[in-house]
Amino acid sequence: MKFHWFHLMPYPHLPDDFKEKYPSVWVDAPAGELYDPVKGHQVYNDYLDQLEFAERAGFDGICVNEHHQNGYGLMPSPNLMAAALTRRTSKAKLVVLGNSVALYNPPIRVAEEMAMLDVMSGGRLVSGFPVGTGMDTAFCYGANPATLRDKYREGVELIVRAWKERKPFAFNGKYTQLRYVNPWPVPVQNPHPPIWIPGGGSIETFEWCVANDFLYAYLSYWGYENGRPVMDAFWETVEKQGGDRNPYRAGFLQFIAVAENDAEAERLYAGPAEYFYNKCFHIAPQYYNPPGYTSIATMRKGISGQVVKASANLRGANVKWKDLLDAGCIVAGSPQTIADRLNDMADKLHVGHVMALCHYGNMSNETVYYNTTRFAREVIPKLRNRFNEYEDRWWPKDNLTDVRKPAPLAAE
Amino acid sequence: MLTRETVTLPGGARSEVFRGGKGPTIVWLHGPHGLRGHDPVIADLTKHYSVIAPLSPGYTDLAEIDDIDTVHDLALHYDAVFDALGLGNITLVGHSFGAMVAAEYAAHYPRRVSKLVLLSPFGLWRDDYSVADLFSVPYANFNTMLWKDKKASAEMSDPADEPNDPSEKAIALAQAMTTVAKYIWPIPDRGLRRRLPRVTAKTLIVQGADDAFVPALYADEFANAIKGSQKAIIADAAHMAPYEKQAEVMALLDGFINK
Repeated sequence: MKFHWFHLMPYPHLPDDFKEKYPSVWVDAPAGELYDPVKGHQVYNDYLDQLEFAERAGFDGICVNEHHQNGYGLMPSPNLMAAALTRRTSKAKLVVLGNSVALYNPPIRVAEEMAMLDVMSGGRLVSGFPVGTGMDTAFCYGANPATLRDKYREGVELIVRAWKERKPFAFNGKYTQLRYVNPWPVPVQNPHPPIWIPGGGSIETFEWCVANDFLYAYLSYWGYENGRPVMDAFWETVEKQGGDRNPYRAGFLQFIAVAENDAEAERLYAGPAEYFYNKCFHIAPQYYNPPGYTSIATMRKGISGQVVKASANLRGANVKWKDLLDAGCIVAGSPQTIADRLNDMADKLHVGHVMALCHYGNMSNETVYYNTTRFAREVIPKLRNRFNEYEDRWWPKDNLTDVRKPAPLAAE
Repeated sequence: MLTRETVTLPGGARSEVFRGGKGPTIVWLHGPHGLRGHDPVIADLTKHYSVIAPLSPGYTDLAEIDDIDTVHDLALHYDAVFDALGLGNITLVGHSFGAMVAAEYAAHYPRRVSKLVLLSPFGLWRDDYSVADLFSVPYANFNTMLWKDKKASAEMSDPADEPNDPSEKAIALAQAMTTVAKYIWPIPDRGLRRRLPRVTAKTLIVQGADDAFVPALYADEFANAIKGSQKAIIADAAHMAPYEKQAEVMALLDGFINK
């Protein structure tokens, strides 16, 4: 198994009465009123430190993602964050679970920036292409939800083709027309970095991932037990389309809370977890499901999107630590407890890539380092050899063994 | 009682058309709720008119709008439908989304439309007096914005003609709202203001005084842009004015069409 340290980069200074006072953390939460850039300076630098620390602690990958106009995640441009990370890391793979391709015009911009990251990092990039949430795409960026998915797929097709062909061609798409497609630089990884598709359970996405051999990453905030119907449907699709049942085809996100025991877990993590579920996830229902965002095929299949489900479960409620444990959202307790739970997850979901959320909500630096260190030292080794019999075809090969480190400054 | 038929258009696309009634022919372009057998306004119209009501592409299958990307494509689509039905000059009546499409059609094909009735139209925008975001409520609750009582009348509350299947109901609603969204997202302004001066049809604009979606002031915007048009504001009615004040709107419509 592989373990990746995923940062959502929430804004940790939302007011206590946020949920009562504001209808939504996303789209229309007033930035000028709620975001303090002086505090933000500290927050961004803390978060980058934490991601860099995760490499040293022994995580395989460090993850960033893309969201807009919200207090849930402060990375409108994940590429900027990944670029900052290329300089002080050298081993960890950079798992960029943005870019929402349909938002970039032309999408070749994404091919350029991803290739820049791959070259800067010495071939360490994992390129993620989410369709993007309804909030980010339809509401914040004005993307038409009726055509969003079609436009997104065309964009991904263009990017992948540009990377594979590596010579100029003309692209006559429905949404993008380019007479000369010839992006510089080309990625170190040949033909291209592994492509991961973060998804929320839509049936066409499964089929598309399997057909193109993309990794499917199910980013659920509802724990692995609740993730089973979606992952079962994914593996069913793999089987139907004749793919191998290789666990490295799939990734899953899991909240982690490592402590000495359950009581310490509650003392350290209840506050940050409740902050996340009550504030960062306080999303007005109209924003997460614009018309057309959920396809008719997915509606017919009856797999409801996780955000829809979440909101149904948690709207208006003041969610407590106990609720989160009962619902299986968070894996908490001693290292052994967590290893047991993750083994159970591996059995049930059959996923080789775990995106561990060791930071959430307004967690303090100290707690983040504690959670990260104990997870890396005491949990990862217990699970490291699972799925060793499979080849991970969705992971960067070590193309450059000698990754260039920043030179000392001339004055030093 | 309405009959339902399918016409085939050049290129192979198909369109569903409802028909009923006797009298002078009028073409009805429906609003976001679509068409159903029990639409009370259409039932009323069939008493005095031969009503031809095409169903918007997208409403039965979203694949129908894959190649209808813009309002211009929509105008072309309806022109093909009217040709397939053998219609010459038409009296075109549209409500809400259908009124926007009717206005677009009349601007694209001014010589084909002799009379035009726009009931609660949209498609124009003023920064200082903006149209509300229809999608600022979950789209399944869109009736809360459109009706004076914040809920649909019994006849109009069901998005499908098959009221007993909740899943088909949800799908019918999703298809309807996705179709509307395609032509108005994120702001219902595709440049209609530039095209409205092309309209030569005798035009009547009707709007509810208490429309929470499209402020009543937009009736003036349409009236000012279409030369010689007349407008009527319906008191104590919202975006669904034809359904909320049916007798009053019918009387206006009869007076205008039979003049």
